[in-house]
Amino acid sequence: MDQFFQQLVNGLTLGSLYALIAVGYTVVYGIVQLINFAHGEVFMIGAFGALTTYLLFFDGQTAVWILPFMIVGAMLASVGTAVLMERVAYRPLRNAPRLAPLITAIGISVFLQEFIRLLYEKVPFVDFPSAKQRIPFPQIDVVTGPAAEIGNVTIQRSAIFTIAALVISAVVLYYFINRTRLGRGMQAVSQDPDTARLMGINVDRIIVVAFALGAVLAAVAGISQGFQNNNIDYKMGFLAGLKAFTAAVLGGIGNIPGAVLGGLVLGVVEAMATQYVPGQFGGGSWKDVWAFIILILVLVFRPQGLLGARVVDRA
Amino acid sequence: MSDVITTEAQNKPESPPVKGAAAAWPLGLAGAALLIIGSFLSWSYDSSILENLSLNGNPGGLQRLTIIGGVVALVLLLIAKGPLESRLGQWLDATLGLRALALYLLIYMVLVVVAISVESDGLINVDPGAYVSLIGSGLLFAGARLLPLRQLRDLGQARLPSWFEILSIAVIMAVILFGAAYALDLKDAWSFVLCLLFYAGVIAAMFRTGTLSWFSHVAQRNKKVLTLAAFVVAFFFPFTQNGSDANMSIATQVLIFAATAMGLNIVVGLAGLLDLGYIAFLGSGAYVAAMLSESAFATINWHPPFPVVVLIGAGVAATLGLIIGSPTLRVSGDYLAIVTLGFGEIFRLAMFNLDGTNGPLLTNGPNGIPAIPELTIGSFNFGDPHTVAGIELGRFSNYYFLLLILLGFIILVFSRLNDSRIGRGWVAIREDEKAAEAMGVNVFGLKLLAFAIGAFLAGMAGTIKAHQDVAVSPGQYIFLESAFLLAAIVLGGMGTIAGVLLGATILKLLPEKLRFFSEYRLLLFGLLLIVMMRFRPEGLVASRRRQLEFHEEDEELAVAVESELVEEAK
Repeated sequence: MDQFFQQLVNGLTLGSLYALIAVGYTVVYGIVQLINFAHGEVFMIGAFGALTTYLLFFDGQTAVWILPFMIVGAMLASVGTAVLMERVAYRPLRNAPRLAPLITAIGISVFLQEFIRLLYEKVPFVDFPSAKQRIPFPQIDVVTGPAAEIGNVTIQRSAIFTIAALVISAVVLYYFINRTRLGRGMQAVSQDPDTARLMGINVDRIIVVAFALGAVLAAVAGISQGFQNNNIDYKMGFLAGLKAFTAAVLGGIGNIPGAVLGGLVLGVVEAMATQYVPGQFGGGSWKDVWAFIILILVLVFRPQGLLGARVVDRA
Repeated sequence: MSDVITTEAQNKPESPPVKGAAAAWPLGLAGAALLIIGSFLSWSYDSSILENLSLNGNPGGLQRLTIIGGVVALVLLLIAKGPLESRLGQWLDATLGLRALALYLLIYMVLVVVAISVESDGLINVDPGAYVSLIGSGLLFAGARLLPLRQLRDLGQARLPSWFEILSIAVIMAVILFGAAYALDLKDAWSFVLCLLFYAGVIAAMFRTGTLSWFSHVAQRNKKVLTLAAFVVAFFFPFTQNGSDANMSIATQVLIFAATAMGLNIVVGLAGLLDLGYIAFLGSGAYVAAMLSESAFATINWHPPFPVVVLIGAGVAATLGLIIGSPTLRVSGDYLAIVTLGFGEIFRLAMFNLDGTNGPLLTNGPNGIPAIPELTIGSFNFGDPHTVAGIELGRFSNYYFLLLILLGFIILVFSRLNDSRIGRGWVAIREDEKAAEAMGVNVFGLKLLAFAIGAFLAGMAGTIKAHQDVAVSPGQYIFLESAFLLAAIVLGGMGTIAGVLLGATILKLLPEKLRFFSEYRLLLFGLLLIVMMRFRPEGLVASRRRQLEFHEEDEELAVAVESELVEEAK
């Protein structure tokens, strides 16, 4: 039974991470019906933004008051990236055939990965480590350090940080979507962009806000990932992004509570699969395969997801 | 030009004479002359850079290109005003061609000076010859700017004797062969870039004079001759290499890449199904060939002859294709792309894990299957060098010929499918699935067929790739490779043959030839995808129908495409 709870905790931690990233996919999809394939890279840039802030201003320190600055740094980096990519690459393609933005997204994804890998160490005037291998992520008091033990279940501090981040983000997000003008504007645009425009909503601005909103949560996820793994690298966004997309579809793409639920379910299923799938096909080395199989099964048999969304039918 | 069908001249008003037009022609002539004279002089004191440009009276490679450029410019000048005007002047737009050529020649000469000063410390190393040529190109540029534009007749209407058309195809193909062999032979990166720039200038000049559009009309009329000529050129390429393996190894890789991209072109270009896991089919073919080979690490103790292996490999790939294609019954568009991406990743992870501890022993896991022996068909061993007509053909040349046959086969399948009922069904599905279904097109069956055929062809290519590479490992079949294949298609032009071959060649060749570029190649590749989608989503060589799909509101284009289709139908 201890094993079960341990895997549950692991799964929820992993799931919180997926959920934070998945919201970005879902928000953007709900508004422009675009799979922002490069969202995983926004998450990666967020982690590098936090690291950069730390290296520039707080190198060598571990006090907990640094954390908010790192979060702000991460958000600036990822929001900047997301808004820029929307403006430069996606906006001109808004009425193009469906294939075009997807190929652009692959291009952005490769470009951003390589940009970090090649140029991070070449930033002028400062001595940043090379991003060609994994870079150790700073250790901060309170959120990293010795793990807590409840019974026989180990809970890492970074896990608590991640889950707490998800809870706080979810509450803020709920408030933002339902109580603010911008949030209600987003809802209106996602229901019917043309009517929303007639009602005086600046659709272009709402789209930018959607990208930025996703990026803010991805930045938080990037920091969480850094604390959990103790290191970050330029390709961390690819797999995480793909799985978060799975989570978004699982919950019903376009549906924000669905993305959170989908993330948690995917995380728990993945953790349980490592523990409970018997024989040679169990264990860590096949867990990604199981995640992809879930992705395919969901896309094929329940494309509207667990909580339901508008059924996608586009070629 | 006797049997010319004249059309009504366009009724545009005469363009007003440009100031200084009288000086333009002598200025251009002087420029061309200086360009050629300068090229016979030494360009640099340093004989070790840019493959030696330091001899007087004995031009080096780059200088010879400049002379060719100067002569072409001279001919264009004579067409604009002079002895050739009466014969060619009314057909060729010499002025525009000259402007394009002169611009490229100017950039070329400036870059030559830059290259010399970068390669050997400073402008001090530039000899007067280079400056003479630079001034020449500047004068030529100025002269071309000042030359007045003239009224022209539509070159597309020109009808020349068919022997002349076929001869011009042969000449152009031969020029391409020698041009390619010459460029590939350049070891020096600067020389290679400058050479490419020169080719670009010549192509731009051809485009501007209208020669290129004339040639495309000729190619339309003589499709079979052109195809044959292209294969003859490709066939003779190894004979230009004098037994050297360096370029042949690149050429075989280009061919494998092109063959795979061509297979993917059936799925993406014809049927319009975005497949992001296509590399898995190439991989499955390669893994089947490796497991059935006589390598000491092969996991299946059965070694059938190679033709059987090809069929098994392609069959396994096609089966996988059917499995991957089966979700198309329910999902389409972006979702299908993600499903195929998932399958591709599952394939890679499975190959990584089937190592005996995490699953049955089939692939040796991350180590892959090394030491795959050379291919033998009958008593012909592909590893042995052979001598044909006094020219030694090494290991890679043997594989090159085999791959050329495969590529020819794939192109044949592609074009036959495209022209058939199946191909029209795919077009219908691509443009409007529901309408197609309502018209009685078997949508699901045709989609599955596209996946199966594409996978079958990639599987065939994979079986050869395993032997050519000597080893297979999971690292060769990552998502990025699928993205590369897709990029080749997007860059070249979806659904076209020439475009995809061009795209595959560019994407595989440039990083191999430009070592300094290889570090940044992925960065530029990502940028290229973004820029292409933004500015030319239909690709370099666009199929007209595609072009229309991407520019729906362009009425002029729609009319043009329609009249072209009518002409083709006649």
